[in-house]
Amino acid sequence: MKLIQLILIIGLLAILISYFRWFRSAVIDKLLIGCILAIGIFLVVFPDLTNQLAVTLGVGRGADLVFYIFIVAFCYLILLVYAKIKKLEQQLAELARRQALMEVQSPSTTGV
Amino acid sequence: MNSNIFIIIPVYNEAAVIAQTLHQVVQTGYNVVVVDDGSTDGTGEIVKKFPVHYICHPINIGQGGALQTGMDFAKQFDPQAVVHFDADGQHRVSDIGRLLSPVLEDDCDVVFGSRFIEKNGLPVPVAKRIFLQLARYINFFFTGILLTDAHNGLRALSRKALRTVLLTENRMAHASEILWIIKERRLTYCEVPVTIEYTEYSRRKGQSLWNSINIIFDLLFKKINR
Repeated sequence: MKLIQLILIIGLLAILISYFRWFRSAVIDKLLIGCILAIGIFLVVFPDLTNQLAVTLGVGRGADLVFYIFIVAFCYLILLVYAKIKKLEQQLAELARRQALMEVQSPSTTGV
Repeated sequence: MNSNIFIIIPVYNEAAVIAQTLHQVVQTGYNVVVVDDGSTDGTGEIVKKFPVHYICHPINIGQGGALQTGMDFAKQFDPQAVVHFDADGQHRVSDIGRLLSPVLEDDCDVVFGSRFIEKNGLPVPVAKRIFLQLARYINFFFTGILLTDAHNGLRALSRKALRTVLLTENRMAHASEILWIIKERRLTYCEVPVTIEYTEYSRRKGQSLWNSINIIFDLLFKKINR
């Protein structure tokens, strides 16, 4: 085994472990993450497989294929995070609004 | 008769001009609601000296969010109409009456102020003019409504519109969001000529090109995310 393979496997495992430690989420999520990382480790151990797959898909090298897939996945992830932030922003706004409306200072001589 | 109309003024760090603006608005005799969107420059202290309803967001959430807070507050009085008015001195108090009359006469649910209806209005800077033309068509693309002006914060809403409109775009995309809601909920709308003052101050505080990219992105996302 080459040194780079060892480094990558350790990296992937570290991601997996920290994910399970830091985030609690749906079972399906964990299965998905587990699968993706398992595939990652598998491909690190057998790098020739990505080459074969890349050639089948019409991409020059396995590394290029991984890179392309990574770009797509990354964009998707950013969109997901953006959606989450938007949702949080809206909840935060609602919270700020409710608090603000509880402490309105009105003029004593209001015409209402 | 002025007692059941609310002028909603969102403010964010406008200490330099807010006193001047409020001084004029208060004289109209309408109810004034100032929504302080988390100002940190002492704007709040100045506002509190005026006979207005003062609402203060604990944090900054954006102009759209501030307007919605003002409308939520006004709703409890079941007003005949509400007016959105900018704090930075670019809107004229004398335009409010013209803005309100279609709403009070039940002609329209939403009235927009437009700086381009009257040819002899104040000159609009060239860059601003091009930008606004672009913004008009972007609005049209997203909402199907083509106004003569875009992102002009001066508008009046009827009682029905107040009950219908719920702004969820907390930042600046709310101007387009209102068009969206009008289209979707089949509200009626019209435009009346108003004058926008281009002071050095309002130009500095106004929309930047950078911000409009944000707005487009917000709109795009909203369209996808529905």
